[in-house]
Amino acid sequence: MSDLVLVLVVAVITYLTRVAFLIRPRPVPGGAVGRFLDVFPLALFVAIATVGLATHEGTPAVTPGLAAAFGGILGGVLFRRSLVGILAVGAALFYLVRAIVG
Amino acid sequence: MRMMFGDPSFRRGFRDSILIFFAVGAFGVAYGVLAVDVGFSPMLALFSSVVIISGAAQFAMIGLLAAGPLPVLVAVTGLGLRHLPMSATLARLIGPQPLRTRLRLAFVLVDETYGLSVRAANAGVEDLVAYKTAADLTLYSGWLIGTGIGAWFGTTIDPDAVGIGVLFGLLFLGLAAPMINRRRDWIVVVASVAATLIATLTLPPAWQVTVAATAAALVGAAAGE
Repeated sequence: MSDLVLVLVVAVITYLTRVAFLIRPRPVPGGAVGRFLDVFPLALFVAIATVGLATHEGTPAVTPGLAAAFGGILGGVLFRRSLVGILAVGAALFYLVRAIVG
Repeated sequence: MRMMFGDPSFRRGFRDSILIFFAVGAFGVAYGVLAVDVGFSPMLALFSSVVIISGAAQFAMIGLLAAGPLPVLVAVTGLGLRHLPMSATLARLIGPQPLRTRLRLAFVLVDETYGLSVRAANAGVEDLVAYKTAADLTLYSGWLIGTGIGAWFGTTIDPDAVGIGVLFGLLFLGLAAPMINRRRDWIVVVASVAATLIATLTLPPAWQVTVAATAAALVGAAAGE
C-alpha cells in the first residue's frame, strides 16, 4: 500500500467515525445512554488533559507538566474557569518550573 | 456561508477559537516536521492534513508507518471510536439540519471544536452551526498552515522545546473546567484521571484515551443524575 493510499484510507475511516451519528437524524437517546453521552465529553477532555499533563513518554511521571496542571487549576479558581486564565497561569507555572528544574 | 460572517454566533466562534488556532498551528508544525522525517514528501504531509484533520490519527499514522499499514489502520480505527459519542452528542446539540450541513460539520469534528461547541451550547449560544463553522474554519486553517510550515521549513523548529504536549493538556483542562457543576461531574473527573493513569500503564497508546474516557463515562452514567 503506497503512502498516498494509506493517507486516503485513514481519511475515510476517520470521516466515517465522525459522520456516523450525523448522517441521519436519530431519536435523542435517553436513560443510561443519554447519561453516558452527557458525561462523555467531560471524561474525554479530562483523559486527554491527564495524558498531556501527568505522563511522560506514555507513562505517569512527575514532570513540569504537573506544575502546569496545578497552575491551570489555580487559574481556573482565580479567573472563574476562564479558558484564557487556565492557559495563562498553567503555562506560566510550567515554563517557570521547567526553567528552574531543567 | 456568506450569510454567516455577520452572525454574532459565527463571530463568537471565531473569537473563542483564536487561541486554538495558535495551539493547533504549533501542533501542525510538529506534525509537518515528523511526517517529512518519516519519509512523506512535504506535499503529501500537507495533503494528509487536508483530508484527515486529526492530530491523533495523523501522529499515530506516521508513528506506526514503519510497522506497516495494518497497525496504522487498527490504531486509527481505535482512535476514531471516540468520535462516535461526539458525533451523537453533536447531532443532539445542533438538532435537525440539512444533510449538507451535517456532513460539513462532521468533516472537522475534532476534540477542540467539539469541546468549544459543547461549551458554547452550555453557554446558550444561539446558532451553534454558525459557531462551530467558525471554529472549524479557524482550526482547519491553523492545522494546514502549521503542517505546511513544519513540512517545508520545520528542520529549524523543536516542538518539544515549546512544550506542545503540556499546552494541549492545559487546553483540554480549560475546556473541561466549565463542565464540572454537579457531584456526578466530580465523580467523572476522578474516574477519568484514575482510568487514564491505569490505561497508560496497561494499554497501547492508541487505546488509552478512548478506553479511559469510556470507562469514566460509564462510571458517571451509573452514578445517576
